[in-house]
Amino acid sequence: MENVIFIILNVLFLAILILFISRQGQGASLLEESYSKQIALLIDSAKPGMTIVLDMTKAKEVAEKNEIDFEDIVISANNIITVKLSEKGGHSYSYFNDVDINIYPNLEIDSYVIEVNKYG
Amino acid sequence: MVEFYKKGGSKVLSIYWFVILLIIAGGIVAMVYSFYNHPYDVRHLEGDIMINSIADCISRQGRINSGLLNSGEFSQSFKNNFLNECHINFNVEEIFENEPQYYFEVTFYNSGNLNNSIFNIPKGNSNLLASCNIQDEKEYKREIKCIEDDFFSFDSSGELYLIKILVAIKKTEKNVK
Repeated sequence: MENVIFIILNVLFLAILILFISRQGQGASLLEESYSKQIALLIDSAKPGMTIVLDMTKAKEVAEKNEIDFEDIVISANNIITVKLSEKGGHSYSYFNDVDINIYPNLEIDSYVIEVNKYG
Repeated sequence: MVEFYKKGGSKVLSIYWFVILLIIAGGIVAMVYSFYNHPYDVRHLEGDIMINSIADCISRQGRINSGLLNSGEFSQSFKNNFLNECHINFNVEEIFENEPQYYFEVTFYNSGNLNNSIFNIPKGNSNLLASCNIQDEKEYKREIKCIEDDFFSFDSSGELYLIKILVAIKKTEKNVK
């Protein structure tokens, strides 16, 4: 009986540890940072005429948990990209490429579409 | 009696075992927090992209842009208007209080004399340049990211030039903790 309790406690301990580590990697603030930097770097390396489709399934899951509309999670203004996945959160990153862009969600494939139109 | 000591021994072992597990868990939690509390440093990628974009603007298919260099003469107006010509915008987030977070310098050398530069285009916050020389020192390693690259290109008359591009990016608050 003691051995069984011992093993159960060990398994419980390991499960909590794995859950903790996996949850840490999926936090809203971490995703906000990685998506905002990723989008800014994609725009930096883009040329006019390009259309970029970015899969944001993970962002959608987190935003839905935090009751944020998928349509509102990415904002672009004055060469700055802001990604907001929680009510109090949000992360911004600037891009240097002086291009005129359209950024909008594609709800069918849980993605954001970045259209690079022309130089500003 | 022996059975009694055996039971006592295993209980003590279990306590030690859980103490060890707690120490390991504490270590893992500390490492995970430390890892995820540091922002991703993407400045080296940003610097590489900026160098490529400047190089594309200066030279296409191995030929220097005729707007910049024509008949052996460098255009001063192209230099003054370089950010517009190359579609570069130094706007940054409010937390930087409008202080430019970028600096770049394009230096041209004649292939016959690689020691003395013949033309230079510096743009952005020149204060960042001082940090490039000390960025290898451990204390300043994370302060400012400096990236340098060079390539050769011909002008319209077939003269060969070495072009060096140095990019310095600060954005410390967004990339380093």
